[in-house]
Amino acid sequence: MSRFVRYVVAGALALTAVGCSSDNGAGPVTTTATTKATTPSSVPASIGSNGTNTTEAPATVQPSDPTAPSAPASGGAVINVPADQPTIQKAVDAAAPGDLILIQPGTYKEAVNVETNDLTIRGIDRNTTILDGGFALDNGIRVVGANGVAIENLTARNFTKNGFFWTGVTGYRGSYLTAFRNGDYGIYAFLSYKGQLDHSYGGGSPDAGFYIGGCYPCDAVVDHVISEHNGLGYSGTNSGGDLYILNSTFRFNRAGVVPNSGSYELCYPERSTTIIGNTVYSNNQPDTPAIDVALLAMGNGILSAGGVGNDIERNLVYDHDKTGIGLVPYLEQDPNDDQPSSDSWNRPCADTVNDPLPDPASVPASVLWDSHQNVVKDNTLADNRIADIAVDSAGTDLATLGNSFCGNSFTTSAPLQLEALAPCDGAKPSATDWTAGVLNVVGWLGETHPPSQDYTTSSPEPPAQDNMPDAATAPAHPATDVPAAVDTDSITVPAKPGS
Amino acid sequence: MPGISMSDMSMPDMSTSGAPDAPVTGAQGRVPQFLVECPFSHALADDPIVFPDRPGASHMHVFFGNDSTDAASTLRSLEAGSSDCDQRLDRASYWAPALYDGETMLTPSKSVAYYRPGQGIDPTTVQPYPPGLKMIAGDAGAEGVQSTAVVAWTCGTGIARDSLPPTCPTHRPLRMLVTFPDCWDGTNLDSVDHHSHVAYSSGGTCPSSHPVPVPQLQFSVVYAFSGDPSGLRLASGPITTGHADFFNAWEPAKLRSEIDACIHRAVICGVTSGRK
Repeated sequence: MSRFVRYVVAGALALTAVGCSSDNGAGPVTTTATTKATTPSSVPASIGSNGTNTTEAPATVQPSDPTAPSAPASGGAVINVPADQPTIQKAVDAAAPGDLILIQPGTYKEAVNVETNDLTIRGIDRNTTILDGGFALDNGIRVVGANGVAIENLTARNFTKNGFFWTGVTGYRGSYLTAFRNGDYGIYAFLSYKGQLDHSYGGGSPDAGFYIGGCYPCDAVVDHVISEHNGLGYSGTNSGGDLYILNSTFRFNRAGVVPNSGSYELCYPERSTTIIGNTVYSNNQPDTPAIDVALLAMGNGILSAGGVGNDIERNLVYDHDKTGIGLVPYLEQDPNDDQPSSDSWNRPCADTVNDPLPDPASVPASVLWDSHQNVVKDNTLADNRIADIAVDSAGTDLATLGNSFCGNSFTTSAPLQLEALAPCDGAKPSATDWTAGVLNVVGWLGETHPPSQDYTTSSPEPPAQDNMPDAATAPAHPATDVPAAVDTDSITVPAKPGS
Repeated sequence: MPGISMSDMSMPDMSTSGAPDAPVTGAQGRVPQFLVECPFSHALADDPIVFPDRPGASHMHVFFGNDSTDAASTLRSLEAGSSDCDQRLDRASYWAPALYDGETMLTPSKSVAYYRPGQGIDPTTVQPYPPGLKMIAGDAGAEGVQSTAVVAWTCGTGIARDSLPPTCPTHRPLRMLVTFPDCWDGTNLDSVDHHSHVAYSSGGTCPSSHPVPVPQLQFSVVYAFSGDPSGLRLASGPITTGHADFFNAWEPAKLRSEIDACIHRAVICGVTSGRK
């Protein structure tokens, strides 16, 4: 074991209710904002320093600069690594809420646990301040039930599990982070609320480069990130509700953006994820590490797998072997629960987590999670070789699913005439034949794909990434004001890279 | 170290240590946990708990975790070994009887070790296993089905726990899930019968004879097997003889930090799923 490795040995700790529970007051406080937020009136509210919603107008932070403080920085101490503390973990252990941990360039062979609220952990140089797991340590930085922790301007590579990981928190932010060649996820938030991941890079993970899962309403924003050479570019199981994926690039993964539902984890179904202004291309990459789901989803740009009420607008999506934007079912075999009825899809996770366990005898042998009530609008699509836009099921009448397609620039659809079959805003369909040119998603189950590659050797080194502004001098900025307000109306379809 | 007599070739009746409360099932996320996933390491007819220093004396076992495990393994030898698990600092050894379909031994695809507080146990009271602790769960000599709270078969991570292997679909292959005792007597690393130094909690309480709550290890062996289970048997005998063994050689500071961070703070530090 490296001499740099040190582990937290906490004293007696109060039991902290975490996950989806809100009985300590730390759970989600946004309870009703489940409508699709394409207007300023429904963007996430700003968050007071006490972690509760304020009633003031949203913070005036531009999407292009979501790290700018919108609340006064706390007056915490600055702990320099290695000058004040020799390791990041020692600095974290010595820190009090509000402190800034400032890390000099160097390679730190540590797996850091964070259990203190409201810290800011920042590298001086994103490309040369590196946490390296050596394929032996588990997570670069893991924030365990500590609220308001921001991590900035660092690289985490070569960890057996995740690069950066928040679990069971309210308030998290990852800005200008690079995570690559990690064994599960790059940048990962689980059972966590009020978050922001921006200006970051996730590459070379068999699961997703970016993942937000198990939250509703999540109240989180992914903005200006790059995800490539992963099994999945973005994955979010059973998440949604004020959850935005914006202005980001998903390319060279097995599959691009893949929210899904399933009863293998809490808070099902996935619903109300807003996906706007992203550049999604060439997600057919045969030489990445990949979990089974990534193999199954291979060749698709944006794929809702059993998602509900997602809003997919103004994305540029091209060069995929299967679909550009596909709404398909997720077939869960031997599930943990039946799917909830549609009148309970909007129940907060804080409530559903307390539901009694189902009687195993009442759980069906398999559950078909169809994609319902999604909106695919004003996207620009090209060269998606089965269909630019598509919807399918495994037996459900597609006309009953309530998905809508309109305003897209596209060439092919499955079924044919999809925008005429399923127009937006309740317009009367001008076509009725749902059988011509169907996708046949069931056939995907029997396909074979290039096998998963070893994550330790298959991932290319990312090029140098942009540093955050003024890393050495910017004050502490804990994640007590996230997510930044977003103005999705102002987002337009991105220009094609290189054009 | 207690001596082992030939009478120990069959496991004692489980009534000496009781059975746990029915474990919490369903979607992961309800119960604090940390996980270790390990690829299959090796198979040997060795058992360093029941037949120490007697290579080949046991039925065939499949080993996970510490790559060096054999009949001669000791805490010191395991500490010098290595692990291919996703938690490399878990150098513990885990093993289970080999599973056969007719005459063909089925190579497991992986194992998943779930470390949780026992049901109803105050998570903040859970203590690390002492280095060198040895435990066996399940009854290798069982003549009938065992409690599914100790030995169960599932498809994938599904909710249904059966006492016999179910017919699993291809995408959710067969697993054997063994739940270990979660209360320790505070003194002994092993016992003559390999069971009586540990016990199961009941109703959220450890018995006064075994007052120290330790993590409840639920050990899952994953097989790339689906379909008709009628030809399955274990190396220890009929399919009802499921059991598993644990020899603790975790890097002590890492085990303590996982318990502090995840179990004491009641956080889900990892999940496994049908995704993989």
